[in-house]
Amino acid sequence: MPSVELKAGAALPALKKTIVQRQIDCYSGVRPNSIHTDLEWAKQKGFPRTLVQALMSTAYVSQMMVKWLGAGFVQGGQISASFINPVYEGDTLTARAVVKSVEDVSGRPHVTVECWCENQNGLKTMVGSASGFTDQLRNKQ
Amino acid sequence: MIEFKTISYEVVQIGEEFRSDDFTVKPEDVDTFGYAVDDHDPWYFEDDDNERDSPYDGKITHPVLLGNLALFMRHNKYIVPAGLHAKIHCEFVAPIRVGMHVRVYGKLIDKYERRGRHYIVTRFETREEDTGQVLVRGNFTQMIFPQSGVHQHAKR
Repeated sequence: MPSVELKAGAALPALKKTIVQRQIDCYSGVRPNSIHTDLEWAKQKGFPRTLVQALMSTAYVSQMMVKWLGAGFVQGGQISASFINPVYEGDTLTARAVVKSVEDVSGRPHVTVECWCENQNGLKTMVGSASGFTDQLRNKQ
Repeated sequence: MIEFKTISYEVVQIGEEFRSDDFTVKPEDVDTFGYAVDDHDPWYFEDDDNERDSPYDGKITHPVLLGNLALFMRHNKYIVPAGLHAKIHCEFVAPIRVGMHVRVYGKLIDKYERRGRHYIVTRFETREEDTGQVLVRGNFTQMIFPQSGVHQHAKR
């Protein structure tokens, strides 16, 4: 992972994901009467296509944070997210994060990032924050 | 025979407790999750210690691997035709590993109506059953679909 400066405003490398139905099936489990895996049911509920489960977006944030902070996220990391727009099968999401603050927490260096996912039209689908400790960075920078 | 009620804003009560099924984390769960979210970090998949280059002794799993186990707790008490996830807060306390025997414990801590939509808030802890070790804790907010089945937002 390229070096990310530990200062407010520094951006983490973005992650881009195009989500196909098979991935939704694997994440959510194939069930009848599911807005995630049953297209007819999703349409009955008013959606144009099956919905990507919102939690999948937190997995992208987790991926960015584990790649960067390593054990400092696996043990002591946090994610807070609001899901503000639906994500549909076939959408391409870009997960982004920008350093918001760096401070000491319980005597350990700690970082908080603002994070979000946006779809191929630039519409934000998830907004929130993530945090963790910076004393065990991967690929020491 | 136990008859499950269909979940609704009126039926669920603040203070109500939930418990997931017990679940043993299997290698195929990690494989499937890795494919689903397209995350093949060597910490989760690499057997070779040098290739893995991890501070952990052996492989761990994606920290968010067990998210759905928490969400599905309510399915053990109710018929849940559909719902939408509105918010989540997660704290990752300890690494999850293949072979762990886990369960999620939850409690409904709030329910509210906003702009004609119904929401429930559940606090949860995912624990390793054998040791009681907390692995992940947090809370999540879900929107419950009305009996009519369709919210206006779905038509966007």
